[in-house]
Amino acid sequence: MQKIRLLLLLALVQVCIVPPAFAHHVLGRPSYSLSEDSNTPPSMQVETQIGKFFVTYMVFPAFPRANEPGRVNLYATRIDSGEPYAGQVTFSVKDDSWFSSDEEILGTQPIDAGVFRQGFQFNKDGDYIITARFEADGEPYVIDFPLTIGDTASATPITVSVIVIVLFLAGINVIKRKQLLRAKIRADRTDKHA
Amino acid sequence: MTMTHPGLPITWALGIVITMLLTGLGVMLIHRETPHNRVIRLAHLPLIGIPLQRLLQRPWLQLGLKIFLVAVFLLIIAAGLYGTPMAERNFATVMTWNIWWAALIISIFFLGTTWCGVCPWDTLASWLVRHRLWGRSTSGLSLNLKTPKVLRNLWPALLLLIILTWLELGVGITTNPKATASLALLIVVLAVISAALYEDKAFCRFFCPVGRTVGAYSQLSLIELRPIEPDICARCNTLECYRGNKKIAPCPMHLVMGRLTQNTYCTACGNCLQSCPEQNIHWQIRSPSREVIRDARPRWDEAWFMLGLLALTSFHGITMLPAWESLMTGLAQQIGDSGNRLISFSLGLGLNLAVLAALFALAVKLTQWLSGNRQDFRQIFSAFSFVALPLAFAYHLAHNLNHLVRESSGLTTLMINPLGNDTQPLSMMEKHMGHLQMLISQDSLIFLQALLMVFGFWIAMRIIRHRRNGVLPGATWSLLPMVFFAVLINLFHVWILMQPMVMRL
Ligand code: SF4
Ligand code: SF4
Repeated sequence: MQKIRLLLLLALVQVCIVPPAFAHHVLGRPSYSLSEDSNTPPSMQVETQIGKFFVTYMVFPAFPRANEPGRVNLYATRIDSGEPYAGQVTFSVKDDSWFSSDEEILGTQPIDAGVFRQGFQFNKDGDYIITARFEADGEPYVIDFPLTIGDTASATPITVSVIVIVLFLAGINVIKRKQLLRAKIRADRTDKHA
Repeated sequence: MTMTHPGLPITWALGIVITMLLTGLGVMLIHRETPHNRVIRLAHLPLIGIPLQRLLQRPWLQLGLKIFLVAVFLLIIAAGLYGTPMAERNFATVMTWNIWWAALIISIFFLGTTWCGVCPWDTLASWLVRHRLWGRSTSGLSLNLKTPKVLRNLWPALLLLIILTWLELGVGITTNPKATASLALLIVVLAVISAALYEDKAFCRFFCPVGRTVGAYSQLSLIELRPIEPDICARCNTLECYRGNKKIAPCPMHLVMGRLTQNTYCTACGNCLQSCPEQNIHWQIRSPSREVIRDARPRWDEAWFMLGLLALTSFHGITMLPAWESLMTGLAQQIGDSGNRLISFSLGLGLNLAVLAALFALAVKLTQWLSGNRQDFRQIFSAFSFVALPLAFAYHLAHNLNHLVRESSGLTTLMINPLGNDTQPLSMMEKHMGHLQMLISQDSLIFLQALLMVFGFWIAMRIIRHRRNGVLPGATWSLLPMVFFAVLINLFHVWILMQPMVMRL
């Protein structure tokens, strides 16, 4: 008993002395921001962690459109020392649809003032995946991030829901009708026998 | 730049801890066994009592609210699917996560399971399957099968609650309007499928994670739907509250009003209120602790659901720890997880559930061992599992109060432009303004949070004290492991409340 009490107390003390932290931090989730002190357009930003690196990428403008130029800025720093990665990063793009696997290289960029900058221009609206690749300490790093070009509205969830509900209820309707018919036949037979 | 809300000041936290410990000691040492039965009958209130009762016995108010909430629900779907992807500018994300999810938990304390009585998921499913806006349906498309025995418990709802938390904290659905709308639609689909297959409200009773959370917490609610005169129910032969009548459907949860002792499964559908020929059913205000301390019956699956609730509410706090961040990073590196660390997160979530369950089981086992009692472990486990409920509810309320008080400004702008068309991301100025526009003052918020933490702990102590009578009669010092469990969890929650909190959107 004494021992457990001691253990619990130690756990409490441990809990009470750790420094403050912030809630609801999820990596890899896009957020949109305004840059207040320059003429930069609003950007979409995603932070993520991979291997020994902490990676942030920003997309300008936040909502790029087809046939308009845009830019990806990528920052990669070592988690342990905070030092920026200084090699080269290759950017490529592929269509984020189920049956597409074609990939196109956008370019290979050296570091420029701590940032890897890659310009892009798409000629079709759609959902794309930008892939950034680099090598550090003999290990390859591959980071995928989503990029939507043009209108982001989607009717798919509503269409799928309506189809599922209609088909399911139609199926149930057929079963119920069959049940009713069977019950009627049975009732008729009983009447005849009576 | 990330905007954060300040946490509880250290002086307040110390105050809570001292009050908590004194309260705990008081409850354990002062002999007062049973909570009181006093109630305030709403139907007997001067002036408003009778009109209120008449209003509740007709379907119009409820139907009006259902139609309104279905409209809001459809707006959420439209905004989520067709509006801006900026979460803070989209009605779907703000309404769902900042307003509804936060206010729902708070509403349970004052209104019990009322949400379920007007819930748009159930309303839409009933309209689509039963083909009636209200009242008893004679046609409809349901096969009315019995829910399979294997699903007739709270395990499905617990599993869905874990998935919901995973989506919220792991995937980050709270900042994705499209995903928020898709989830809302998925729940409608599940509710429709369940209503079309099974009799009554099987979805609400066994599967809905929201409904079961509401049901569990409503054991601590201030109100209950009960008979005015229990004797009238005792003499009743028709049981119309249970069977319904020509116009009104039976109780969809198979509850007999005369024998009702807990709110958990009542979905506040109002059928019994409308069908009772003696007009003997009404809402009454009661002691919020009575049900959980004394009246609610322990059950194995409910025990796990309550523990799950506690683990998941605490998990919100655990994901704030620096230790959590480093654990996730280390784990992600070890297993070669992707950048969003979903596998690591899932493992962490699983570990958290396992650790809390193990801690609780250990406390129960030690209590049993120290008391030298040979009663079935499951019975003791289920009886003491009620301790989890006030601890989880108090922290959940305190946490959500923070979100609601600090993040619900700007709703008018959102109502004018729910899809957030042609809007820009929130500027620093707007974030600051939102930060300053609180629904109540900072001091009142802190006071309420402190009160809640002490209240939750006080009820937990009374549960330990009272529930022992059923399973470990005469136990005194051997209850210490259970007391330590409650102290540990509540202290952890107080500490979490002391941390600065990032704005949800
Ligand atoms: S249980 Fe779920 S679906 Fe049923 S009424 Fe409550 S919230 Fe709605
Ligand atoms: S009919 Fe049943 S579920 Fe509906 S309010 Fe009455 S007791 Fe609750």
